[in-house]
Amino acid sequence: MRKGFLTKVTGVAVAVSLLLMGTACSSQDTSSDATGEREAIHVSVGRQTLQNVTFPDGDNYEDNAYVRMTEKELNIDITDEFEANGEDYDRQVSLALSAGDIPDMMKIGSLDTLKELYENDLIADLTQVYEEYASDYLKSLYDSYDGRALANVTLDGKMMALPGTNGDNGPSIAWIRRDWLEQIGLDIDEDQDGCIKIEDLETVAKEFMSKNPANADNVVGIAFAPWLTSGDPDGTFSMNSIAYALGAFPKTWMEKDGKVIYGSTTEEMKQALSVVSGWFREGILDPQVGTRTWDDITALLANGQCGIAFGTWHIPGWLLSNVYALNDQATFEPYVVEDANGMINCKHNDATGGYIVVKKEFSNPELAIQIANLFYDTLVNDTSLLDKYPEVKDYVTNGVDGSSRPFNIEINSYTSLLDDYTEMMKGINNELELEEVSVLETRTNIPAIQRYLEGDVDADNWSRYHCRLKGVGLIQSVTENNKFAWVTPIFPKTTTTMETNWANLEKLEEEAFIRIVTGDIDVESGFEQFVTDWNAQGGAQIIKEISEQLQ
Amino acid sequence: MVENRSFHSKVRTLIIYLIVLLLGFSCLLPLLNILAISFSGSAAVSANRVGVLPVDFTLTAYDKILSDGQFWHSFMLSVIRVILALVLNLALTIPMAYAMTKSKKEFRARNIYMNLLIFAMLFNGGMIPTYILVRNLGLLNSIWSLVLPGALPIFNVIMLMNFFLGIPKSLEEAALIDGASPFQVLIKIMVPCAKPSIATVSLFSIVGSWNDFFSGLIYMQKVENYPIMTYIQSLNVDIQELLKSGASSSTLENVTELSNRNLNAAKIVVAVVPLLMIYPILQKYLITGMVMGSVKE
Repeated sequence: MRKGFLTKVTGVAVAVSLLLMGTACSSQDTSSDATGEREAIHVSVGRQTLQNVTFPDGDNYEDNAYVRMTEKELNIDITDEFEANGEDYDRQVSLALSAGDIPDMMKIGSLDTLKELYENDLIADLTQVYEEYASDYLKSLYDSYDGRALANVTLDGKMMALPGTNGDNGPSIAWIRRDWLEQIGLDIDEDQDGCIKIEDLETVAKEFMSKNPANADNVVGIAFAPWLTSGDPDGTFSMNSIAYALGAFPKTWMEKDGKVIYGSTTEEMKQALSVVSGWFREGILDPQVGTRTWDDITALLANGQCGIAFGTWHIPGWLLSNVYALNDQATFEPYVVEDANGMINCKHNDATGGYIVVKKEFSNPELAIQIANLFYDTLVNDTSLLDKYPEVKDYVTNGVDGSSRPFNIEINSYTSLLDDYTEMMKGINNELELEEVSVLETRTNIPAIQRYLEGDVDADNWSRYHCRLKGVGLIQSVTENNKFAWVTPIFPKTTTTMETNWANLEKLEEEAFIRIVTGDIDVESGFEQFVTDWNAQGGAQIIKEISEQLQ
Repeated sequence: MVENRSFHSKVRTLIIYLIVLLLGFSCLLPLLNILAISFSGSAAVSANRVGVLPVDFTLTAYDKILSDGQFWHSFMLSVIRVILALVLNLALTIPMAYAMTKSKKEFRARNIYMNLLIFAMLFNGGMIPTYILVRNLGLLNSIWSLVLPGALPIFNVIMLMNFFLGIPKSLEEAALIDGASPFQVLIKIMVPCAKPSIATVSLFSIVGSWNDFFSGLIYMQKVENYPIMTYIQSLNVDIQELLKSGASSSTLENVTELSNRNLNAAKIVVAVVPLLMIYPILQKYLITGMVMGSVKE
């Protein structure tokens, strides 16, 4: 009985709130858009949220400035069918899929899920509405990936999702303590082009260890995370930059001489491992490599025990900021590691990450495209929208996380990272008025970096200066000097053998690599054994399956 | 000789005490570490400088929790859930267990029920069918989805049944002769006698529903409906996963800024306190319960 009563109460509450929402929407609809003439369309969505996002009081994921703007601009009524963080969200998606009942629009994380939804005939074909409704600017963003972005979501010639784009972040950068380099009078980069050799890294590590500029206990030259290599080119705390400089692309599928190869099993990878295991013998590499966790390495850096960190261009913003928090004199200089020919090897990312799908039965699939137009075109290019919605402007200036937008994906042009940099530099050099700067984040970056350069250092200035001016600046200068040697990998769909054997193969690889590096097994014979085992335990079969995919 | 022996035994006791203390301390150590981290400054925590004592003592983490509305909302949700689950569990477990103590002569379908219970204890439909059932019953996002699927803990029924069997039959017979109905026998005779065992079963129920985070993850579709343990679990940020999924630099900044280790430690401490308070209350029953259950007539 009690349960019945409760259900009734909630039922009434929901009905009342729906009613209230309905009136709220219709009362807003006095503006006469083309969409204003019809009834507000109800859209249920699945939203991947982020922990601890700070909203202004009263706002939340379901009801915030971005959502209110979308509802008003497109005359729709958005409710969240489910919300969850990270992996919990993926589970909700799987559960909805298993129940055969998905929301009108939702984000999904992987192409495998997309394929499953497509095979179960649950999602709508967006080809038509994309052609018809997508703005020219939105199309140009996707087109800047040379068709790779849309190709990923095209199944049997039909566009089944709106993909988020994933530009290239450049290589893994060696962030070296500049204040220490100055203190001990070491200049490793005489031509100031930001490119150093593997030997230079060794020199710095040795000097840092012997001179110990921070007077720390237990100094460590170079530290890597236990997994050593990363599938992302810019893998943080990975040895990718050393591997890439030797022509090895770990955890990467690529085509070489017409054959599919796996980067971790190549001769070049063996050389990279032998360099790193040499460091281990000499004591340059962290003697606790393999057991030193991510947090532990951060602690090494923060305590001044280690002065070299590998990672992507934006690690000063969220990782190296821990170093600044304990020592506001600390500064970092980014370097990329070059190969024997003086080139910087790097690989492209997969062009897409995160996808928006629309339920097959949903009456207005064009709304998905219109929402994308609104956020990734109008909001970026038309400043009058911000004047119309001051609360959205507040969101932007206060940095409320982008996951609060109805679609938690990013759609940027392929060159946006460097384009933003060029624009930012114009602003910093006062060649461009702040109001004329098109990218909103850049408007915050410019004054912050100017303050830093004038000597007014705080945590925020410090990280923006290091990320945007130093980190992206390095990628820009290497690009300008034509020193990048780009590799385009294969991004295979998950094959049947991968489903069953991949976890084991990954484990095999990580164990073999850490044992080789720590000298537990010999580089030559150990690596050979690893390659044999890897092929025997399904690797060879997977290569065969991927080759079939490519045909 | 006697002195010598007592000296030996004293040394032996001392060594045993030392070992037990050491073991006890090693169990306590991670908890102390979490406690110390929750009271430390975030810079010291990220530099791994905190052991069992706080470094740069500060209450900022607790200050932040006090202002985190969702945390307290989830906390209250969990309290309500524990109470609901406890009442429901006991209301179902006790009569079920008592009925099961009857022989086949008195309760003809007893063995069928017993087999059903054991079957349901060993086999279940699995996550997806259970989810679809709960969904079709319209329980998603309702607190009942956390309570109803586990309303009858079979293991507890069997435990309580065995305890009831240990109570002398003559007690029950005397009551029946005095004209008590079976229900009165249950309430007036069996329940008071089985207090220790009921306390144990209650404790299982309380701890189980307080600590369970997984059903919250599945049946609750919004963070605002999460019970406390699910909420705490969801705060755990896997930066490497975020990096892999191509999170933007500003997203990473937001996450690392707000979800630091000492804040999470403080949340764990606050969430553990209610259980720590329950244990001493139920402890006396637990100890007597174990002794009483050990010897049967």
